[in-house]
Amino acid sequence: MKPFKYINAKDAPAAVKLVSENPNARFLAGGTNLLDLMKENVEQPDEVIDITRIALTQIKATSAGVSIGGLGKNTDAANHPMIRQNYPLLTQAILAGASGQIRNMATNGGNLLQRTRCPYFYDVNMPCNKREPGSGCGALEGINRMHAIFGWSETCVAVFPSDMAIALAALDAVVKIQSPGGQEKSIPFADFHRLPGDTPEKDTNLGHGELITAIEIPKNNFAEHSYYLKVRDRASYAFALVSVAAALEMNGNVIKQARLAMGGVAHKPWRALKAEQMLVGKEPTEANFKLAADAEMAEAKPLEHNKFKVELGNRSIVLALQMAFNSDKS
Amino acid sequence: MQDKNTTIGKPVNRIDGILKVTGKADYSTDHPVQNPAYAVIFKSTIASGKIKRIDSIAAEKSAGVLAVITHNNAPKLNPKGGIRGGALLQNADVLFYGQHIGVVVAETFEQARHAADLIKVEYEQSDARIDFEKIYKDGVKPKDKEDEKRGDAKAALENAEVKIEETYATPIYHHHPLEPHATIAEWQGDKLTLYNSSQIVNGAQNAAALTLNLKPENVHIVSPYIGGGFGSKGGQWGNLILAAIAAKMVNRPVKLALTRQQMFNSVGFRQRNYQKVSLAATKDGKLTALAHETSTHAAIQDEFVEPCGDCSKIMYDTPNSLISYRVTPMNLILPTYTRGPGKSTGSFALESAMDELAYKLKMDPIAFRLKNEPEKDPSNGKPWSSRKVVECLNVGAKAFGWEKRKMEPRQLIQDNYLIGYGVACGTYPAHQRDSSAIVKLKREGNNVTATIELAAADLGTGTYTILAQTAADALDLPINKITVKIGDSDLPPAAGSVGSVGATSYANVVNDVCNKVTDELIARSGKQYFVRPTASQLMISEKIADIQARADSKPLETAEQYSSHSFNANFAEVWVNQSTGMVRVERFLAVTGAGKILNPKTARSQIIGGNVWGIGMALTEESIVDPRYGHFVTRSLAEYHVPSNLDIGELDAIFIKEEDTLSNKLGIKGIGEVGIVGVAAAVANAVFNATGKRIRELPILPDKLL
Repeated sequence: MKPFKYINAKDAPAAVKLVSENPNARFLAGGTNLLDLMKENVEQPDEVIDITRIALTQIKATSAGVSIGGLGKNTDAANHPMIRQNYPLLTQAILAGASGQIRNMATNGGNLLQRTRCPYFYDVNMPCNKREPGSGCGALEGINRMHAIFGWSETCVAVFPSDMAIALAALDAVVKIQSPGGQEKSIPFADFHRLPGDTPEKDTNLGHGELITAIEIPKNNFAEHSYYLKVRDRASYAFALVSVAAALEMNGNVIKQARLAMGGVAHKPWRALKAEQMLVGKEPTEANFKLAADAEMAEAKPLEHNKFKVELGNRSIVLALQMAFNSDKS
Repeated sequence: MQDKNTTIGKPVNRIDGILKVTGKADYSTDHPVQNPAYAVIFKSTIASGKIKRIDSIAAEKSAGVLAVITHNNAPKLNPKGGIRGGALLQNADVLFYGQHIGVVVAETFEQARHAADLIKVEYEQSDARIDFEKIYKDGVKPKDKEDEKRGDAKAALENAEVKIEETYATPIYHHHPLEPHATIAEWQGDKLTLYNSSQIVNGAQNAAALTLNLKPENVHIVSPYIGGGFGSKGGQWGNLILAAIAAKMVNRPVKLALTRQQMFNSVGFRQRNYQKVSLAATKDGKLTALAHETSTHAAIQDEFVEPCGDCSKIMYDTPNSLISYRVTPMNLILPTYTRGPGKSTGSFALESAMDELAYKLKMDPIAFRLKNEPEKDPSNGKPWSSRKVVECLNVGAKAFGWEKRKMEPRQLIQDNYLIGYGVACGTYPAHQRDSSAIVKLKREGNNVTATIELAAADLGTGTYTILAQTAADALDLPINKITVKIGDSDLPPAAGSVGSVGATSYANVVNDVCNKVTDELIARSGKQYFVRPTASQLMISEKIADIQARADSKPLETAEQYSSHSFNANFAEVWVNQSTGMVRVERFLAVTGAGKILNPKTARSQIIGGNVWGIGMALTEESIVDPRYGHFVTRSLAEYHVPSNLDIGELDAIFIKEEDTLSNKLGIKGIGEVGIVGVAAAVANAVFNATGKRIRELPILPDKLL
């Protein structure tokens, strides 16, 4: 680990100023990912700006829906009565991630900014275009069972590791940001994370020094029919092989609106838009779920070791939709 | 001594428990030393070749750095001194990815680690042997393992009425004790103290002395508590010696702890095995042949082959048998003993094959095993000292509700889950090893206390407690009057906590030394007794203030006439999600016949701990090597998946009553190893019963069941 300077920021504008003035400065929130990366020399900041004392932790109802503070803890977001009641998909997704101890430390904004757990990214002795642009992709022809089947490029086949963000993608959340100039801006969730393309070093469209102040989720009618399914190599504390956030709004026996987002399959939360469109106006039958899953997974391009993710993704979409449809009965 | 106050056989709480949960038990680097410096190892980033140049200028200039040690300035050592896996900085050769190539010593750990990151190494790379699938066929006979043949297994297989021939694959598994390998080295003149986790205290002493060209009496091992070892702290590895030479070079005590990532290529692992098992039987289920042929790998310069065929030698009665091994060198660190060495992996192959053949014969797998139960040890014709396989199977079947199992797979379905039952047996040899011990008795008024001293090792499994129980009963003292001192090479030499010999060897010598001191007290009293008095009675009646005795115990001379092993039967109920392939072990039961159980509480913990690891072997654990580079891709506990709490359902352990006094005086057989043996097969067999899919390559990850 490279020696660094530690500064405790008194408020958001001060933190944003400090980080934006130094390209090698980083915000430190829960630290559950950044500190690991620093110990491994993947991240080598020379200044660490501690933002944990800034009061951006509130969860509050807004006219549009709910606003979750960027520096609130994952555990608090998952367990807040308003979230549990109105956005159970988010609760389930958060609780499917990491471990209780980590969720107690990890913040909501930080969760969205997790780096990939690709082992070639994490090991500084291995090639990785995300960590060191131009050095090559270790996983493309390496051990890539955990890697992407959608949206990857020759430069990077990593996947985005968050569970929480998969639910937020399905729920059309909006990321609220404080920028270095003092202005506030909003990025719709679909535009927040990026596909790797030729710039895999950029995970998101957040600029250096920009701080996530809140995540807003619009009101919806999905609470009765939603489910987060996570398939993994062990029952807890493992990243997804495939995960599916599924939400349905029913109109009688017909699907009025469907949302599907997948984790563990791409460099960003993967909205299964094709499948969503196919479900609208249909009855919630296994056959219709299967048609939607087939359509979505037809686009998948698996790598050498993750061909199974196509079939698993297909089954997971069907199962998650079934569980979502039946979730009001359990 | 067999009165109501005996403690042996009772679920006594660990006497060291409070120390551990309050942080007062000093593990390796916890020991207080004056002014320690900190060492961090740096490692090779190629799998094969030579170091051309090490640029350590920036590291040496870095804040706090006291020394950078590489093969260029390391002292000359004896590489044949018994340190496993090489990597002692004696030359420029690189034989595996992650080999130790140097050490940085600094005032603080952080400074040492940062400086180690500044080291630049130039290599001359050569071709490496790192793709096991491509090279395993080049395997040759190991140096110490001839093919073992009884009868003609090949001919019997050719003429078989029913047979199966299948290959079972297991990946590299790592030990990953909670406490990584860690050492404090402190010199006083020519005398060296090593605070170090050691499963074999005297073994660590001898290996360190020989390697460093010291007399063994000048090396003092202090290892009172061990945070798990599972075989990786049986032999000692290069990190122990590097701590010693670093301390010498900076003339200060040095602390050296491996990081979790470094644990993957510093202290051995369980090697990858391809095991071909061929079974032949008559139509009514009598085995006629059993062949168990293992292909595996070892290091470039050293050989270690775990004995995967051992279970197959003794578990079942068959007139024709073949056990063989082929091994190929690879550019990986030396494999080593790993819990249930050979037996845990070997039983996966054998007991899966037994399940496959039982299914082919349309026999219940328990009935099939009972039909092939051997009266004597088939490998050498010796009588069993005791063998409770039949009882384990029958008691287990009843307790587990085996009658609910269906012969055909995919019959038990609930919601989206397929439910299956599996059974598998296991075994591990029972031995007593030479050990010595001293007992010291003291009396103040009517208060008699005793101290037991021997260089035993407690892996965290309860050695302190069972020795206090043994001494308490033998001396007729309450357990809180007994002090147990172990884990120190200044104490009388003892066996290691390895190969399930610890409890047997230690408890027998403690019992012997307590009887000896009682004999001496009787002799000193000059009286004759109708009923043998106890040591504590004599101390008081004869007004003796203190006395001590030493015993040097050896195995029974007659023990070699018998075949002595612990045995078990394992029962698993799994639930498999039909959509996702995720497997959950809902219930697991191990029934064990392992001689006298000294403490059912610590014994249960041993068994269920082994069961958890066995479930990990079956379902989640796997170390993956990138065949292009030779490094472990899975290099943290986020990727090397030991089971989490949520992976483990209901566990239960039953011990069959057994006192095997033909094996040793106290009738103990050892439980540390056998707890993992047969577990993976029971799970895999249950997965077959649930799904109809026979998975012959561990671990059984979700994608294998889609």
